[in-house]
Formats: sequence, structure tokens, C-alpha cells
Amino acid sequence: MKNERKRTFLLITIPILALFVCFNTIPLIRGVIYSFTNFKGFGSYSWVGFRNYIDLFSDARVGKSYLFTFKLAIVTTVVVNVISLILALALNSKIRAKSFFRGTYFLPNILGALVVGYIFNYFFTYILPALASILGSESLSTSILSNPDSAWFGIMVVCSWQAIAMNTIIYISGLQTVPEDVYEAGGLDGATGFKQFRYLTFPLIIPFFSINMVLCVKNFLMVFDQIMALTKGGPAQSTESISYLIYNNGMSGGQFGFQSANAVVFFIVIVAVSVAQMKFSGKKEEQL
Amino acid sequence: MKGKRIKCLGSALCCAMTALTLWGCGTSADNNKVEIEIVQYKPEAAAYFEMVEEEFNATHDDIHLKISSPNDAMTILRTRFIREDYPDIIGIGGDINYSYFVDAEILADISDYEGLKNIKQAYLDIDETLKFVPQEGVFAVPYVANAAGILYNKDMFAEHGWEIPESWEELMSLCESIKAEGVLPFYFGFKDTWTCLAPWNSMAVDLAPADAAKQVNRGETTFTKEYKEVSEKYLKLIPYGPDDPFAYGYNDACTAFARGESAMYPIGSYAIPQILSVNPDLNIDSFVMPASDTKEGNTLNSGIDLQFCVMEGCKNKEAAYEVLDFLIAQENLQKYIDAQIAIPCREGDFELSGMLDGMTAYIESGNMTDYQDHYYPSEMAVDAQIQTFLLNKDVDAFLQKFDTDWQRYNRDIIRLVQEYEKEHGN
Amino acid sequence: MIERKTNWPAMILLILGLSTIIFPLYLTVIIAFKQPSEMTNSISGILSLPKVWNFDNFREAMRVTDFWHSLRNSLLITLVAVGLSLAVHSLMGYALGRNKAKSKFYSFVYLFIVSGMFVPFAILMMPLAKQTAELGLANWVGVILLYVVFYMPMNVLLYSGYLVNIPMALEEAAKVDGASTWTTYWKIIFPIMRPMHATVAVLTALAVWNDVMTPLVILAGSDQNTLPLAQLNFQSQFGTNYNLAFASYLLSLIPILIFYIVCQKQILNGVVNGAVK
Repeated sequence: MKNERKRTFLLITIPILALFVCFNTIPLIRGVIYSFTNFKGFGSYSWVGFRNYIDLFSDARVGKSYLFTFKLAIVTTVVVNVISLILALALNSKIRAKSFFRGTYFLPNILGALVVGYIFNYFFTYILPALASILGSESLSTSILSNPDSAWFGIMVVCSWQAIAMNTIIYISGLQTVPEDVYEAGGLDGATGFKQFRYLTFPLIIPFFSINMVLCVKNFLMVFDQIMALTKGGPAQSTESISYLIYNNGMSGGQFGFQSANAVVFFIVIVAVSVAQMKFSGKKEEQL
Repeated sequence: MKGKRIKCLGSALCCAMTALTLWGCGTSADNNKVEIEIVQYKPEAAAYFEMVEEEFNATHDDIHLKISSPNDAMTILRTRFIREDYPDIIGIGGDINYSYFVDAEILADISDYEGLKNIKQAYLDIDETLKFVPQEGVFAVPYVANAAGILYNKDMFAEHGWEIPESWEELMSLCESIKAEGVLPFYFGFKDTWTCLAPWNSMAVDLAPADAAKQVNRGETTFTKEYKEVSEKYLKLIPYGPDDPFAYGYNDACTAFARGESAMYPIGSYAIPQILSVNPDLNIDSFVMPASDTKEGNTLNSGIDLQFCVMEGCKNKEAAYEVLDFLIAQENLQKYIDAQIAIPCREGDFELSGMLDGMTAYIESGNMTDYQDHYYPSEMAVDAQIQTFLLNKDVDAFLQKFDTDWQRYNRDIIRLVQEYEKEHGN
Repeated sequence: MIERKTNWPAMILLILGLSTIIFPLYLTVIIAFKQPSEMTNSISGILSLPKVWNFDNFREAMRVTDFWHSLRNSLLITLVAVGLSLAVHSLMGYALGRNKAKSKFYSFVYLFIVSGMFVPFAILMMPLAKQTAELGLANWVGVILLYVVFYMPMNVLLYSGYLVNIPMALEEAAKVDGASTWTTYWKIIFPIMRPMHATVAVLTALAVWNDVMTPLVILAGSDQNTLPLAQLNFQSQFGTNYNLAFASYLLSLIPILIFYIVCQKQILNGVVNGAVK
């Protein structure tokens, strides 16, 4: 009887584990192996030792893409969380047509990022400048995507537009865990408005705040679709995200080996960031 | 109730799996026919190739031809090569990708192909120089060439009495007079980075040695020296373009030029079909980019726009040759030339488009030089570097970066060249 | 409890905020119906409704992007991937969730799979392009298998977490009746995990439906397109006919919009469950 149970579990685990190893672990290892070659993706290749890694750290284009990706991830995370918290507080207060509002605010999240990017691309190139020139705004009368200093802002807007939906919903479910009597008790102590939020509500939804932070940072560090749709890395290579650079140069640019090295470093960075975040939020929660 | 749901799910899964297997089988073609697959990289010529495919299949019982003209074909081809899923014939340009493919030995040697006898020697020579190091064999059939320079709105020029410039000074004064009459001289579509290369190439052939890249690879000169004049003159073109050239892509620029928003558009002959698709009545002609200070210093920027290579993995070379025969047949090539405003690479009587009138003298006298960018490695992204340069206008920084990046991205090629020269005592 | 009054400042804020969502969608719809000649750069030209509501743009867009074919591929890939995920991931979650506390092997496997969450697709992309081809899986079957693997870490985490709430007593009762572990699972455990199935199905379906990168790397160059891939491939064929392009964008958004309108509640609950657990 006991053996039957054990055997069944093994029979379930082994094939699924094999599938996982085959399409996750083995490609990962192969990626690491390719990172030590000068493989172009076709033809023959040779071992180059750590040359790709050395190049990686002296390559301005790669450095720029890391800077861009991190800048985008951090700014977008902050913007998204601030706006979603405000929206969540509003949506959780006593309002009419609550479920209509919730439903509509979540809408952007279900739409494909690529097509959303294409739609916004048109707005930034044609509609926004047209609106701006009517309003007499000089700085916005040209497409923000055509200027290396402002193109990232356009990408940030599109990423936020979609991500806010998700984070708001998570904050709402967080706010619903706050019992009504906490506010009542707080109201007696004179905690209202922002004070009430700062000292009563926010500490209680910290776990949800951590979830949102982790989700945001991880998603935005891997940003790809929006870049593909909006700028394809331009202008002047100012909006190349790490994923985009790896795809573009690795698959079509003949840098299979070199970009594999980039991907390995990127992997380590993602793991480091995730671990750091979990440690940090774990500590935060303990303090409370 | 619960059991029912599981059964539902189970049968749904079964159905899906069956569909999955059936689907997989449905794709295999007719068995007694040889299947030849072409992937060619010019999506704008898709209609022509659809016609070729149809006519070929209607007249050949033993071969089934399939031609695809995908967007961004080089990415798709490279991805397919990574997957080791090779088409039989590829239609690519005479550029560095060809050099890479020759070097990687994935193209078949077709020196036994009869049709090569009809190809103009000049184009076979270009393919020869594209090889990193001399290598036995012929690996491509040049099909058509293009020419890059400046397209202009003929009616507009006639109306204002503007003359075709033959030197840099004349070009600059022409731009001034166009501007003075309230017309925009140039349009640019720099949002698509590759369009930055069009004026660059047509100026570089006038101002830099034709084999600049090879000279640098041999360590004889630097780009800082050879490209200084090109870069400086390029910057002088920008004020004559639209206010924000980086906001618009190639399609936007073609549309704007077609609607008469600018008098000239510095791009290659390949843009003409796209422009005409917006405004079929537009009267376009072209002239050679006069980047040199004298008329004699100018040369036409022309290279192989499309050539066909048989892949090493092609199982039926005979059938592939038959397809090539069909493609280079005079009447088919003429149709291509008419549709795409191109220059044929084979001998014979062809009728060139009137929109190349301004360049015919150069074509007939053979005063043509290949594109400089055909020697740039694609991963160096020179197009994006030029875009960056046009944005921040720093000539020295641009050229310095060009030289250092060149050494890094061409490391393997330079070593290949050096090893070859050592071996052959040169 | 005191009955609170409607929070009007919040209402106003929400209504204003709504415009940022409605406005782009409104413009998408009207541009998709307009003709190129109706596109002007004035405010009224941008915002006005099209003169006639005709479906020519849509017909042409469907033809150019081979809409029905792509839709069929997208639907098929999503449905099979979700179905397989439910079956495979719940089984794995069950096997690991029930054993990881007392067996070193299972707790290792659990950690091994869950840590797969940190592997970015970027590092797998290039080797996978090669590997799927070597295995003859450079088609949508391969894409489905990859999805089953990619979403395994997340879903196994969800399932095994949910399993903690299901008492062992239920299984033991069935065992007394002589049922094998396998039958017990399908008869008792699988149906009980229904709320988690909804979550997993919604999360996986949304992610698969909108994914671009996997089909791009695995399917590029074959004749099989998914809806997002078709948009990507045909982008430049629209030239500057933005009306046609927008008709095609709208077409690709419609299936998921319908799905959302029909199952809005389940989707919202599913997403929240998944994120919070």
C-alpha cells in the first residue's frame, strides 16, 4: 500500500522533472557553454575562453542597455506603485458603480503589449504633437520617441499604462484585508487623511506592497515587447533593453556567442536582484 | 457530477492531442515532386515573386516552387540557420551577410552553373571582392543592382528652373535656392536607422577609397582619416531636411516625398516603387550624389541589390538550377526591372526605367562603386552609430568610436586575413 | 457601523483617470474605421467619428494578416497549453506538496523547479531555438511544450501552496475504500483544487495569448503565425496606411476583449489569487 503511493509519486515526478530539465536546465547550460565561443549562429565556431566576458565589460553598448533597463525599471516601478496605490484607495472607498470601475481599470492588463505599443507609437508620433502644437507647447510638438533624451519616457508611459491595472487590483485586495474597526479606532485617536494612511493602512498592506515591487521590477527588467513596438532600440541606441539587445544581436546580428555571455550575466543580475528584494522585504515584514 | 467534469477535461485533452497529431501530418507536400524553397529578402518585390512562383509551377510538372518574401528576412534567415533549417535558395544582397555565409561554408559552389556565362563580369567581380579571403568557387548569381543618389521631383524642378548639381558647391547653392522659395529641399526617414546609411554611402563612394574597409583591415589607414570629409558634409545636409527627421520612418519619408512635401529625397532607386504606390503620377528622376568638389570626382553608388545563392544543404541542385534559369530568363528579369526600377546584372537588351535617366551615363560608362556598408559587420550597427552622430553632431567622437568598434567587431575577420596573408607569403 | 456617504473626490478622480484608458481605445476604434483621406492633423479631425462605418479596412486587414489562420493557431496553442498546464502542473504540485516536508529528494526537486522562475527567457532563447529544431519541435507543438515548462515554476508553487489547506484525512478515507493513489488524486484532490485551477487557467491563458517572444524565436519563418506574431510580421506591409494597421490591431484585441467581458469576475479573482498566494 505504502509502496504503491511512493511509486505513483515517483511516476508522476520523474517524467515531469525530465521535461523541465530538458527545456529549462539543459538550454541554460548550453547557453553558458555558447558564451565561451565565438559562435555566429551558423557555420563553425571556436572556443574563445573568457573573451566574451571581458568584451562585455568594456562594451559601451551593453553598459548603456543595462543603464537604460535599470533606469526604466526603477522609474516605472515607482510611478506604477504610486498611481496604483492612489487608484486602489479611491476604488476601495465608498463609490458608485464600483465593479464597473474595477473592471475597466483592469482592462489594459489583458491587452497584448505589442499591439498596445503599436497603438501608442502612432499617438506619440502623430497625435500628441498635433495636440501639443494646438496647445502651443513647444517641447511636445515633436515626437517624444524621436529624441534620445525623451524616448524612454514614452516607453515608461506605455509600460505603466498596462502595469498599473495589475498593481491596483493587488492593492485593492490588500486594502480589503484591513478590518473596518482599525479605521474606527484610528479615527478616535485623530488619525485621518494622509496620517491615517501612513500609520494605519500602509503598514497593514506591506506584504502586498512587496509583491508589487517584486512583480514590477522583474517584469520591467525583462521588458521587450514595448521596445519592439515603439522604438526598436532607437533613437541612437538609447532605448535598447537587455532582452532586446540579446534578441536582436544574438539572433539576427551574428553575436550568438557574445550575447550568450550577456544573457548569463543578465541571469546572475536577475537572481541577485530578486534575492536582495526578498531579503529586504522579509526584514521589513519582520520589523512589523 | 465531479467525475463528469474530469471526463470532460480528459476528452477535451484527448481531442486536442489528436488534432495536434493530425495537424502535423497535414503539411507534407506532394511526394513525387521536388520541392524547391526560396526565401528572398525584398518584401517590396513580393508581388513579382508571387507571379514567378505561379508561372513556374504552371509550367513545371516535376518541381514545386515555393517563394517566401518575409519582412525582416535576414532575422528570419539567421534564426532558421540557427535551427539548421535551410531553404534551397536564398535571395540576399551583395553585402557582408553574403561574406559571412561564404566564410561559414553554408553556400554551395555553383561554378558549374551554365547561366553564369550570361552574368556581367563586373558583378561577379564584386562578389569576388566580398569574400573575406580569396576562396575557390562561385557562390551567387547576381540578379539586379540598384543605384543610390538623390531622387528629385521633376515637375517641381522644371517649374522653378532648378538645375541638376554636379559638384558639392552646386548642391549647396541649389539647396539654398530651394529653401529660399519656401520648399523643403530634402526629406529624411531617420527613425528607421538603416535609412541613415543611404546618403552616407552615396557620399562615401565619392570621397573615400572604394576599398577603405579592406585597407583598414590590413592596418594601412584609419576611418578617422578616410571618413572625415564624408561626416562633415553629411552634417551640412541635415538643416535642409525636416525639422525633426528622427520622428519619421522610411515609409513616412516616402509618403512625404510622394506628396510633394520636399523637392529631393537622398535614397536609392529601390524606394521608387514605394513612393509610386502612394502617388502613381509623381514624375521622379534621379541624379548622382555630387559630394565631390569636382564633377570628375563623382561616381555612382551601385551594388548588387539581389542575388541568388544555392544552399549547401540543397538536395536537388539540378532542380535549383532550373529555377535559377527561369528567374534570369530575359522576359522575367525585365518584369522585375520594370516593377522595382532596378538595373539588370546579366547581359542582354533591357529597357531601363526613365526614372534612372540621370544616372544612365554613369551606368553605361561603368563609373560605379559598391556600397561602403556592404563591408560593415551588421552587429557593429553602423546605421545606429550614424544616427547617433547625426543627433549629437560630434564628428571626432563618432569617427574615433568607429575605429575602435571596427577593431573589435572585425577581430575575427582581421585575424583571418592576416593568417591568409602569412600562409600565402603576401 | 456608520453608513458612509459616497466619496465624491474619489469618484471624480476615477472618472478623470478613466479617460486615459478610454481615450486610446476610442481613438483606435475610430481610426480603424476611417479612410486615409479622413486623417487630418486638426483636433476635430483626430477626434471626430468616421463619416461612414464600413468594414473594408477590416476585410483587407484580415486578408493581409491571414487573420483566421492566426486566430486558429493562437486559440489552439492557448487552449492546449492551458489544458496541459492544469493537468501536469497540478499533478506535480500534488506530488511535491505532499512529499517535500518529509523527503529530501522531493524538497530538492521542489526548490529546483521553483527557482526556475528566476531564469530569464533571454538566456534560454538562443539555445532553445537550436534545441527545438534538433528535436523536430520547431512548430507549435514545441511552443506548447515550452509554455508548459515556462509556467511550471509559478504554477507548481501555487498548487503545492493550495494543497496545504487540503487535509490528508480526505485521501486516507479513500485509501480505506481501496482506491489507488492515482484514482484518489483524480477523483478527490483534482476536483477540490478547482479554485486554484481557475487561477492557473486565467494566468496561463493571459500570458500565453499575449506572448510574442516564444513564437517569434521558435516559429519565425514558418507559415505558422500567432495573432501577435502576425502583427509583428505584417507591420511594414501596411506602409503608411495607419487605418488598415489599426483595423488589424483592433481585430487582434477583440478576442481577448470578448473573453474579458464574459469572464471578468473570474479573471480578476484568478489574477489576484495568483499574485497574492
